[in-house]
Amino acid sequence: MTIRISGICKRFGSFVALDRVDLEVRAGELLALLGPSGSGKTTLLRILGGLERPDQGSLTFFGEAALSLTPRDRQVGFVFQHYSLFRHMTVFDNVAFGLDVQSRKDRRSRLAITEKVRELLRMVQLEPLADRYPSQLSGGQRQLVSLARALAIEPRVLLLDEPFGALDAKVRKELRRWLRRLHDDMHITSVFVTHDQEEALELADRVVVMNRGRIEQVGVPSQVYNDPASPFVYDFLGNVNRFDCTIDAGVARIVGVDQAFPAVGMAAGPAVAFFRPHDIELTRLEAPAKGTAVSAELLRAQVRHVYAIGPTARVELDLAGHMVEVVMDQDRLRGLGVDGGDWCGIKLGRGRLFRAGMVAAMADPR
Amino acid sequence: MVMPDHNIYAGLTVAVAAGRLGRGWLGGALARVHQAWSGTKAGEQGGMIIRYSVLPGFGLTLGLTLSWLGLIVLLPLAGLVIHAADLGWSGFLAEVGTARVLAAFRISLTTALAAALINLVFGLLVAWVLVRYRFVGQKLVDALVDLPFALPTAVAGIALSALYSANGWIGSILVPLGINVAFTPLGIVVALTFIGLPFVVRTVEPVLQELPPEEEEAAISLGASRLQTFLRVILPALTPALLTGFALAFARGLGEYGSVIFIAGNMPEISEIVPLLIIIKLEQFDYHGATAIGTLMLLLSFVLLLLINLLQAWMRARHAH
Repeated sequence: MTIRISGICKRFGSFVALDRVDLEVRAGELLALLGPSGSGKTTLLRILGGLERPDQGSLTFFGEAALSLTPRDRQVGFVFQHYSLFRHMTVFDNVAFGLDVQSRKDRRSRLAITEKVRELLRMVQLEPLADRYPSQLSGGQRQLVSLARALAIEPRVLLLDEPFGALDAKVRKELRRWLRRLHDDMHITSVFVTHDQEEALELADRVVVMNRGRIEQVGVPSQVYNDPASPFVYDFLGNVNRFDCTIDAGVARIVGVDQAFPAVGMAAGPAVAFFRPHDIELTRLEAPAKGTAVSAELLRAQVRHVYAIGPTARVELDLAGHMVEVVMDQDRLRGLGVDGGDWCGIKLGRGRLFRAGMVAAMADPR
Repeated sequence: MVMPDHNIYAGLTVAVAAGRLGRGWLGGALARVHQAWSGTKAGEQGGMIIRYSVLPGFGLTLGLTLSWLGLIVLLPLAGLVIHAADLGWSGFLAEVGTARVLAAFRISLTTALAAALINLVFGLLVAWVLVRYRFVGQKLVDALVDLPFALPTAVAGIALSALYSANGWIGSILVPLGINVAFTPLGIVVALTFIGLPFVVRTVEPVLQELPPEEEEAAISLGASRLQTFLRVILPALTPALLTGFALAFARGLGEYGSVIFIAGNMPEISEIVPLLIIIKLEQFDYHGATAIGTLMLLLSFVLLLLINLLQAWMRARHAH
């Protein structure tokens, strides 16, 4: 285990940024801390980097207690969201900074430093810009310099705080791919913070989903996406339809809908059900029928709006007052030929039911 | 009696001009002109180009600016130089070449320089504390910084000389130790330090405020010590502002008269400053002597301020944003 975090708490005034957080970072992995703003992900990263001190808890780096270590002794590379390059230094001097400030006995010769900096700049393909100042670079180039600067000190752990957050979509995608390649080449243990679920799922080996200073779920991307551990994770990872339900006698009903889902072993009371837009199936209904249930599996809903741009189309429907979003291929939508005001049959498909700490899969209604 | 009156008026203009010169009037104006110039240059591919602006009126505003500067700054100064020119080269050199005048220049320059250097260090410290920390009474401290601006300088001079004289609060401690402040060049430095304090603080403060803390955090996480972070990351970012503050404090010190005459003792060749010497010449109706000294003062100040501004422009060009 590279980093072990246990029972970390941090408050800012009355705001609880981190509430007893436990986490382990494995050697060589690329770990994403994912959550909305205010979830504590950046605070956790800053504690790892030694830029913030927790109020409670312990932290070990490679088996060694790390809280008393200075950022220098932790040997971490930190990449900031807004690059934080030294404005009055050239690209070269920025990258060389970490090597220049090393204590005399550790410091390399001027020649070795130059060689190392050149090598790093070659790696980020910015060698021709070595004599430029940060103000003369684009956002993407600045972030690459910032990465090269962090890597220059050969850190044991690389920490990245929303590294692509300030960049436009196209550059963000390029840099994301670049970071993944870099990680595959160097296998340096890396933790990055993001609020972009797509970025976390695409880039990370494991994803830590955080909310209100707590960890909601830790797992590989497919796991957190397909098997969300809490309503929050379900909601946060991608689009989702959320229905208020009531559970009674082992059966869950969506409020206002005449259909019962099995909810075996769950206590009676209110609950929430989640269905992903692409798991819902849509069929065309010719004649409008009465009630919400068309058959045992099919529910009757009216199309509100169709968004048909790009390869996937989005259909918004009204199911007994609930807004339902369905995503499908453009071709399939054309085949169905539905438009605003039409009546459709919908099959909710695979879903998930949550009730006060309990989770159940929702498959076939009964 | 018309002529003497007229001459006194001219002499007063000269004195005021000499004082104003030192006080950074010219320095500030020049700095601004220079900034505008280097700004255009940095922003363009080279050369001076009048760019399209949503607010038209370059011709009008430049015309007004030049007329205003001409009326307020150049006209009195030209009067000074023209009056001094009556002397001719030999007469001019005879006026300013005396031991007393040269000593006054030496004293004025060294004390103003020393005071500006002291303000550079402690002004940075005050600005740092005011920007980086929040504490009880902060607004009060903040207001205190501006006080030397508002106080009539003569009041400051009298207060300081009362404090530092042999029976004053501070003087009664220092004098037995063999440190004489009042009525020595050291006293001049104290007065000029007091007068010049706000300049460095107020020029450094906004720059410090905008210095992103992440740059320091980046330096720390790259393994820099606190000293290294300060010397290599914070100080370079503040240097242009520090230089401006230094130049303003220095220029103010050169022209300062009111506070100094009370604490300096005004002994010729020991603690007599140039502005005082000009006043003395005027009181003796030696208008040519006064204008000669004033002209030399003007020249020296101009060269010094120009050098500082050039240094600043050079640094700005290097760290252009």
